[in-house]
Amino acid sequence: MSAYEFVDHSYDVVVVGAGGAGLRATFGLANSGLSVACVTKVFPTRSHTVAAQGGISAALGNMGQDDWRWHMYDTIKGSDWLGDQDAIEFMCKEAPAAILELEHYGLPFSRTEEGKIYQRPFGGMTTQYGTGPAAQRTCAAADRTGHAMLHTLYQQALKHEAQFFIEYFAVDLIMENGECRGVVAIDMATGKVHRFRAHMVVLATGGYGRAYFSCTSAHTCTGDGGGMVLRAGLPMQDMEFVQFHPTGIYGSGCLITEGARGEGGILRNSKGEAFMERYAPSAKNLASRDVVSRAMTIEIREGRGVGAEQDHIFLHLEHLGAKVLQEKLPGISETAKIFAGVDVTKQPIPVLPTVHYNMGGIPTNIHGEVVTLKNGNPDSVVPGLMAVGEAACVSVHGANRLGSNSLLDLVIFGREAARHCAEVVKPGKRHKPLAADAGDLAVSRIDRYRNAKGELKTSKIRLDMQRVMQNHAAVFRTGESLQEGVDKLDKVIDSFGSVSVSDRGLVWNTDLVETLELDNLLGQAAATISSALNRKESRGAHAREDFPNRDDANWMKHTLSWVDGRGKVTLDTRPVHMYTLTDDVEVVPPKARVY
Amino acid sequence: MAQFSLPANSVVNPNGNVHKAPAGAKDVRSFSIYRFDPESKDKPRIDTYEVDMGSCGPMVLDALIKIKNEIDPSLTFRRSCREGICGSCAMNIDGVNTLACIKASAEIKGTVKIYPLPHMPVIKDLVPDLTNFYAQYASVKPWLQTRTPAPPDQERLQSKEDQEKIDRPSACILCACCSTSCPSYWWNSDKYLGPAALLAAYRWIIDTRDEATGERLDELEDPFRLYRCHTIMNCAEACPKDLNPARAIAEIKRKIAERKQ
Amino acid sequence: MSLRSPLGKVLGAGAAKEGAHHWWAQRISAVGLVLLAPWFLLSLIALGDLSYINVHDWIAAPVNTVLLSLLVLAVTYHAYLGLQVVVEDYVAHKGIRLLVLLVIKFALLIMGVLGIVSVLRIAFTGNH
Repeated sequence: MSAYEFVDHSYDVVVVGAGGAGLRATFGLANSGLSVACVTKVFPTRSHTVAAQGGISAALGNMGQDDWRWHMYDTIKGSDWLGDQDAIEFMCKEAPAAILELEHYGLPFSRTEEGKIYQRPFGGMTTQYGTGPAAQRTCAAADRTGHAMLHTLYQQALKHEAQFFIEYFAVDLIMENGECRGVVAIDMATGKVHRFRAHMVVLATGGYGRAYFSCTSAHTCTGDGGGMVLRAGLPMQDMEFVQFHPTGIYGSGCLITEGARGEGGILRNSKGEAFMERYAPSAKNLASRDVVSRAMTIEIREGRGVGAEQDHIFLHLEHLGAKVLQEKLPGISETAKIFAGVDVTKQPIPVLPTVHYNMGGIPTNIHGEVVTLKNGNPDSVVPGLMAVGEAACVSVHGANRLGSNSLLDLVIFGREAARHCAEVVKPGKRHKPLAADAGDLAVSRIDRYRNAKGELKTSKIRLDMQRVMQNHAAVFRTGESLQEGVDKLDKVIDSFGSVSVSDRGLVWNTDLVETLELDNLLGQAAATISSALNRKESRGAHAREDFPNRDDANWMKHTLSWVDGRGKVTLDTRPVHMYTLTDDVEVVPPKARVY
Repeated sequence: MAQFSLPANSVVNPNGNVHKAPAGAKDVRSFSIYRFDPESKDKPRIDTYEVDMGSCGPMVLDALIKIKNEIDPSLTFRRSCREGICGSCAMNIDGVNTLACIKASAEIKGTVKIYPLPHMPVIKDLVPDLTNFYAQYASVKPWLQTRTPAPPDQERLQSKEDQEKIDRPSACILCACCSTSCPSYWWNSDKYLGPAALLAAYRWIIDTRDEATGERLDELEDPFRLYRCHTIMNCAEACPKDLNPARAIAEIKRKIAERKQ
Repeated sequence: MSLRSPLGKVLGAGAAKEGAHHWWAQRISAVGLVLLAPWFLLSLIALGDLSYINVHDWIAAPVNTVLLSLLVLAVTYHAYLGLQVVVEDYVAHKGIRLLVLLVIKFALLIMGVLGIVSVLRIAFTGNH
């Protein structure tokens, strides 16, 4: 193993990932006087936050009356009462200040006539606790809000002179007696293995959308933090809840923002019918994403899909007029042109529900500290480890995330993680020496895969996994199909033992990196499909045809899933937090979810 | 003197490996791709891959991924969002710098020739070293600078018209297609900031919320940093997001000239 | 090999706080050329008879003396500014660059002064 000598570093805090949450945490920490390093596998502005389009929610009330309590109500209802209400309260209450902070950093928000931040309607966002008209709550920078936000956050990181390790792929956590001591990463430019020692590791590695065949997620969305956590023997939470975005472009899967419907876009079937009126009489095209995705799937199933195969739906924007499209939706006009060959001023966009977001992730409390179920305590904190953003499950999104709540999640909990670290980590505190075998797990895996001489290409195994997930853990699920999926995925995981890697180099070995990413995906795919088989009810994005109703008596609880090295999944639960953080607001008790 | 000849170890061998299409493939396209392995002593070479387009997505990136997945997993390139917003897969395709993910193979006649972004150090295959490019971006202090404190509990107001001025310039994705298409940048990338960094500077110069316009112009007024732009316009031509860095640079020059009058 | 940080390299010795003048002068001299060069050519065509004496007398006319002097100035100044840019673009070695720039500067200075003195001499001596 002499090929891999460690390069050692010590920081107060190490952040893994440089998307919205990672960057917000990174410069927050840099600003607080702690020594911080941000380790990221892509240059920060390439992170997938950049692709978020529609906006970021906050009850600013720039475009009509609004209240953070209404936002909280909508988020709880959107989560189908699986979200933790203390966390949701925290997020919605902090939202306006966090958005104004972004504006003060220079984020180029679109503006109202008075020069305030422009806000658009979004799915599931209402007023007066669901009884009033749609809320205009989603702050937007045209239809590239994620781009504007990610660049702004990176600029702040530059301003605060944060330390980055760019194009370093994090391989594994360094765990010692249940405590996280740091992280091992490989420098892609040289192939050298770096060992980062830290009092706190913040995982901000994003989702694992690439476990599916068709997704809006980037190629890099491989859930590397989740993979590391599972290998560290810690659980993931609520992995069965995978959001299908109603409007991925048919074929390529590229995202068409919900903002397109927020600005007035309408979904129509092959009869030209605006069918959402039947499924969601009041919210119509702006119902929550799970509701719209299911409605579209039913329309297609019942033979009212469009196209030669009748297997997709049309999103009409023509009636909005060229001026609105140019001003409010320039990016998707371009995307539709490139990926669907459609001129949105004249033709509808062919769309299909497409995997978009993982509500599940690494369980954390509202400070971002990773928690686990230990000795009967469901909120037992894992020392030295935090998680934020899509990688984490706080859980503010519960069983279904509302559009524009994810960018909010990133900044709120990225900021809170930094604030909390500053409170619990003393700058410059001495590090205990690491155990002699620290990092050996990572190195052994790197070495094994780099020299893997099996008969199956990484891409083949990845495709097999993606097909299983696409076919067996889709918008609608049944016990039978899920069981079949579990069995098939077991075989895929077994086949990973015969993986072959043909690039033996150290410099920019993407064959190796993709294999390590696949390892991360496989564990989370297993957790997802097993959790889905286990949950015998329908809630939010998890729609079981054999159990079509929500079952609060038995299932209003979070699923925890542990996955061992051979893909065997162990399940348990954590209670949903049915309490608020302060007396500013009441708990929202569960009721039927109608849009 | 400017170096017009390549170092001996970087003369490209045009006859690299040829990977034939599988028998039975109907719609075959050839992709000639620049390969360089820093760990071998070999010179860079051009490998040719025959791809069955019948089972390949429409974009050049789809073909690259298909090649990596099915033919040669050692082929190395950056990619992420595959929808033209992250800027990872910038490369030189058919002689033009662009993003592989939004360049359709069908738009190209004959063999598709793929090289890394021109005139940058190559790390491996299609992966250039962008360190200097990123440092140039950082050097223009691309963040809001103010002295007036932000209003408490409120945004800094900005009119719609003023916001529209920064809307396009702030849409830059830092893909480096523009800078690496600029001859002036090829010869003087150590001192000329290049179109991308200057566009970023411009975005803040015209932001009505920013209060460091003067300092920003001061820092750009330099024969090399700014005035190496000779209005060649390759940048505007290359930009895959249809931005116009050349115009932004002209505006900066105009602003500097104006303040002297 | 330099181990200086990438940002350190880019920031270098800072902005020279000049260049605007060069840029402006290049444009002003270009405008001069756009006006004076056609004037000169058209005048010669209009003159028809390009014999020594005829041209000599034409130069000696006060308006022509002034404009022709300005044309020489604009040509040499603009040429210097343009050549300076080309040399700065392509000659990376600092010493060689300075040398080449000085040679060009003196050569064009001599040409310019020679041109203008010649015009003035014709104008003021009046001898054929």
